Amino acid sequence: MYTIKCENVREIAPMVTLKPVPHRPDFFAGFFNYRGTVVPVIDLCRLIHGCPCRMRLSTRIILADYAGKGNRTDTIGLIAERVTETVRKPKDAFVFSGSRAATAPYLGGIVMEQKKMIQYIDLNLLPNCIDFLPEEEDKL
Amino acid sequence: MNRTDSKVIEIHSTRAETQNPLSEICWKTVGVWGNVKPRCPNLEKVIHCRNCEIFISAGRNLLERDMPDEYKTEWTEVMSAEKEDDLPGTVSAVVFRIEEEWLALRTTVFSEIIAPENLRSHSLPHRKNPILIGVVNIHGEIQLCISLKELLGIEAGYPEKQEKPATHHRVMVLNSSEGQWVFPVNEILGIYRIHPNMFQNVPVTVAKAQSTFTKGLFHLENRQVALLDDDLLLYSLKRNLQ
Repeated sequence: MYTIKCENVREIAPMVTLKPVPHRPDFFAGFFNYRGTVVPVIDLCRLIHGCPCRMRLSTRIILADYAGKGNRTDTIGLIAERVTETVRKPKDAFVFSGSRAATAPYLGGIVMEQKKMIQYIDLNLLPNCIDFLPEEEDKL
Repeated sequence: MNRTDSKVIEIHSTRAETQNPLSEICWKTVGVWGNVKPRCPNLEKVIHCRNCEIFISAGRNLLERDMPDEYKTEWTEVMSAEKEDDLPGTVSAVVFRIEEEWLALRTTVFSEIIAPENLRSHSLPHRKNPILIGVVNIHGEIQLCISLKELLGIEAGYPEKQEKPATHHRVMVLNSSEGQWVFPVNEILGIYRIHPNMFQNVPVTVAKAQSTFTKGLFHLENRQVALLDDDLLLYSLKRNLQ
């Protein structure tokens, strides 16, 4: 289970049909026609666990804002399973495990919720790890 | 963690949640929707099944069903459409009727709307003010019940149109800094969002008492509705009853 900061989230959208794009890493799910704008969508399960998100009713696209290149605010879509709950946690509830994966620095501290461990995903670090994203948008 | 490992963990977690210790529909037998004895021991703690973990996880599991293709197609269409932006200055208003006049007040000033069957106003002796109907008991507190019809000077509708009395009657409760005001209305149309450009100017020929309270007029489904100025209304209510 993972968590992201609510303040970056623009909208939680249901799963939609995406435009597949060839020659991209497998975690790149495609482009989302989000109210007339093209938003790149990442499959979080594929990125983190290596297997694609299962298409369940609780599978949704989280539309989040992140600081793009040149002080722009860009929007990215993240597909995740069981996007069902929001919780309020104080900042110090997040415990950093001490080990950070070099290939996945966006995986942050752990917070406990009902005896389950939930890992925080830092949305500001995530786009840097997916290096093809900003370049692709610059060309457009 | 390699690929197969993570997959195994996910499947296990799903299975653990669908199997709960009690039967799958315990809320229909030992819970609040059933009357099988002995009662669920957790009920004392959670009061209602909807607060219980088992019920919550069962509800969550409904979302774990497979996604139908139509669902995806439908939402693709919905999400690709432009979002209708609210114009700045849009207000939400409750539209209601007093006799033949359709009126509206900002939604934020209302605290609640009550069916009149549950209320009985008590008249106050030696008060001749036609605006003051009496006092009513709202959740154990005594509030003044007033007649907006008298305050605004609305005349009674045509007698032949009053054939079905009280079917749509409602009592509205207004919040103000000094307390609550209660007034009956003939009918409530609903809550609507009103754009500033829907407003028309108030015609000068409108009866004078009403026009002073009217902030703007707008059309709503072939009805002409007057949005009332709530500050002025509350102020004049206070003055009238002192």
